[in-house]
Amino acid sequence: MRKEAWFGLSIMAAVVIALFVLMPPAAQITTGHLGLLMLALIVVAIMLGFPTAFTLMGLGTMFAWFAYYSVNPSLAVQQTLDLAVARAYWVMNNDVLISVPLFVFMGYLVERANLIQALFKGLHLATTRIPGSLAVATVITCAIFATASGIIGAVVTLMGLLAFPAMLKAGYNVRLAAGAVTAGGTLGILIPPSVLLILYGATAGVSVMQLYAGAFFPGLMLAGLYVVYIIGYSMIKPSIAPPLSAEDAYVPLPKFAEVITETGSNNVMAGLIGAIKGKRNADVPMRTVVGHLGIALLPALAAALLMGSIYLSITAPTIVDTTGLQEMGMATDETDADAQNQASLEQGLQEPEAEGGLQEPPAELGHEAPVAAEAAPESPKAPAEAAAPTPEAPAPAGRLPAPMGYWIALGICIAGLAVFYAIFTFVRLEIFKMLLTSFFPLALLILGVLGSIIMGLATPTEAAAMGSFGGLFLAIAYGRFNMTMLKEAVFLTAKTSAMVCWLFVGSGIFAGAFALLGGQEIINNWVQSLNMSPVQFMLLAQVIIFLLGWPLEWTEIIIIFLPIFLPLLTHFNIDPLFFGLLVALNLQTAFLSPPVAMAAFYLKGVAPPHVTLNQIFLGMMPFMAIQVIAIFMLYMFPAIGLWLPSVVYGH
Amino acid sequence: MQKLLLTIDKISTFVGHIFSWLIVSLTLLITWEVFSRYALDKPHDWAFDGMIMMYGTLFMMAGAYTLAKNGHVRGDVLYGFFPPRLQAGLDLTLYFVFFLPGVTALCWAGYNYAGESWAIWEHSGITSSGPPVYPYKTVIPVAGAFLLVQGIVEIIRCIRCLKDGKWPSREEDVEEVDVEKLKEQMHVKDEDIAKLDEFVTAKKGSDK
Repeated sequence: MRKEAWFGLSIMAAVVIALFVLMPPAAQITTGHLGLLMLALIVVAIMLGFPTAFTLMGLGTMFAWFAYYSVNPSLAVQQTLDLAVARAYWVMNNDVLISVPLFVFMGYLVERANLIQALFKGLHLATTRIPGSLAVATVITCAIFATASGIIGAVVTLMGLLAFPAMLKAGYNVRLAAGAVTAGGTLGILIPPSVLLILYGATAGVSVMQLYAGAFFPGLMLAGLYVVYIIGYSMIKPSIAPPLSAEDAYVPLPKFAEVITETGSNNVMAGLIGAIKGKRNADVPMRTVVGHLGIALLPALAAALLMGSIYLSITAPTIVDTTGLQEMGMATDETDADAQNQASLEQGLQEPEAEGGLQEPPAELGHEAPVAAEAAPESPKAPAEAAAPTPEAPAPAGRLPAPMGYWIALGICIAGLAVFYAIFTFVRLEIFKMLLTSFFPLALLILGVLGSIIMGLATPTEAAAMGSFGGLFLAIAYGRFNMTMLKEAVFLTAKTSAMVCWLFVGSGIFAGAFALLGGQEIINNWVQSLNMSPVQFMLLAQVIIFLLGWPLEWTEIIIIFLPIFLPLLTHFNIDPLFFGLLVALNLQTAFLSPPVAMAAFYLKGVAPPHVTLNQIFLGMMPFMAIQVIAIFMLYMFPAIGLWLPSVVYGH
Repeated sequence: MQKLLLTIDKISTFVGHIFSWLIVSLTLLITWEVFSRYALDKPHDWAFDGMIMMYGTLFMMAGAYTLAKNGHVRGDVLYGFFPPRLQAGLDLTLYFVFFLPGVTALCWAGYNYAGESWAIWEHSGITSSGPPVYPYKTVIPVAGAFLLVQGIVEIIRCIRCLKDGKWPSREEDVEEVDVEKLKEQMHVKDEDIAKLDEFVTAKKGSDK
């Protein structure tokens, strides 16, 4: 037998011995001490490797019987049975946990729709100019894909097969490559819609909507920090992430585009419009040109639609009172956020200045005219719209004037579009088309699911079902849908849901017994007698959860151990929502902390033999440090997590 | 003997597979209900009960299937390092200490619980015209019974492993992370991965 096993066994033996030594003498034993004994036993029992759900169920049933027996021996059996079935039925009737199978199903469908390849390719071509572009593209791909699928093992394995070889071939540092894949792949458990947050919501009685709203920005922040780190590191030390060679960054142009580029402009708008008007390109079919013009106009159309609908919604006449006003404020902020997003999205799209291979003739003056013309029809709209509501405003039911923020956002939007079209070349059109078929469907799916939950349009359950439906639709649209694929997704969903929900049944019975024995009170009294400040308690709790994350799976930590901390939160005046966000961030690090970091083993499984586990671990270290920084930042500036819930729900 | 084990495995799997499809109907039901409520303005009062029952039946009935595929989460930090005989010994003991009492209790309690519900023809109280819940409550003892039978099979597996020193085989099933399948999906072959080594080793050389 391995040394590790002996080591573990001796630790367990030490725990058991320590238990018996520390137990008060038999005369002073209360049922509360039995509760603590039960808690210690469960740690040991889980380590023995028996399926945790049944460990909990068995221990819980025994101790519950014991607790009842100490009160009234004649009723003990009946009461124990009642407790067991009541807990099971509670899980069966849980309207929070019902979204678990639905989100899991959506995840498997998205994973099997095989969007990841196109997504990665499009993103890495779109980011070629950025230092460390492949690693950046890896993190972004992971953030999007892992968010939609949430299956860490599969995402890390897929990226290990897709992005890891690409990075190695491009001469990237092995550690950086390994770190990007593993850190990116685990983002899915934090960024909503994540199952972890549902389980936390079900355990702590916090609304899942608020948790999702709260985890959104910390998740983005974490992904952003990863990207910043990669870019910064590659700028300081370019040798670890050499820029892509010309041929790797080369985007083949379709025939018609080459023809237009040769005779007309390299700019999409100028070229296409020129091709339609002039008869210069008689050999290019009109349908292709118009079709591509349509695609090229999509961003402008989307922006116009978005701004238009926001305008309509924020200027809609108020029916009544304060609640309406609050909502309006909220809508405005949303507008800003959306507009920023839109703008930054555009910004992101401008970036892809494909270099190498593709020489871009500087746009001639004459060709810029159509671009300006394209932007022009939008700009006059702004003053026109601004003027329109003013006369109506005094009327009670008329449209309200849009706040200043809206016009600023609109201005940014239009400016962004103008810049975007000015540099929109045919190469970028190809990249845009690639993203259109991979990035945008997924982003839309996620934003649709999340948006409808956060805005309160749908319950998490409804949004999850719609998400699954969308996943089904995606799979069909990408031609990946067949009976085998559906079957696999369905069966995997059943197994995962059964695993999670039976764990809840077991822990329900266990927690019932723990409450009966009164173990919680002893813990509460003990913690309160320590006279800790809330900060100290918070740190202690996070450290304990972090340590538990080494040997245990996050499901077990959330379902079994978290409930012990929850009653103490009110004593220390800690917001359970905020605590949950910290826990979610914290458990992320568990995936990256050696020696049991799951992500590393998944990557090792598909990495070339000379990539050692140590290299992967070393690569994960900086990302783990970033996670700690992220926890620290969230702790110092709770607004990162609590701002959105407070705006949307007045939390 | 192995044949009997595999037969029971197959039954558990079959039952699990059948009830797995509830996820599709659950998805469709909720999607339809959302559409019906917002677009047609015609909500159904039984929809919520229907969703809950589909979800509950789905995970309860998949319990035995998951056990047959060794899918219930284990704390396997140490377990993974143990030799098969020790694993089997521990599992065997704990099946008797934890599994049998716990699941029998659940099964028996569920039987009474469902019986009481049948006796009064209980209907859901969420809406005034709630659907009957006695079939739903019956799921508890039924799922418990399947789980119990599968547990006995697992006990026999442990005993066989204690005798032979290696775990008896299981039926194959779809895996969450099936590396071979994912490789195929990405069109990556083992040779390609092995070839990458030159980049790794070359890199190492230049580092030093």
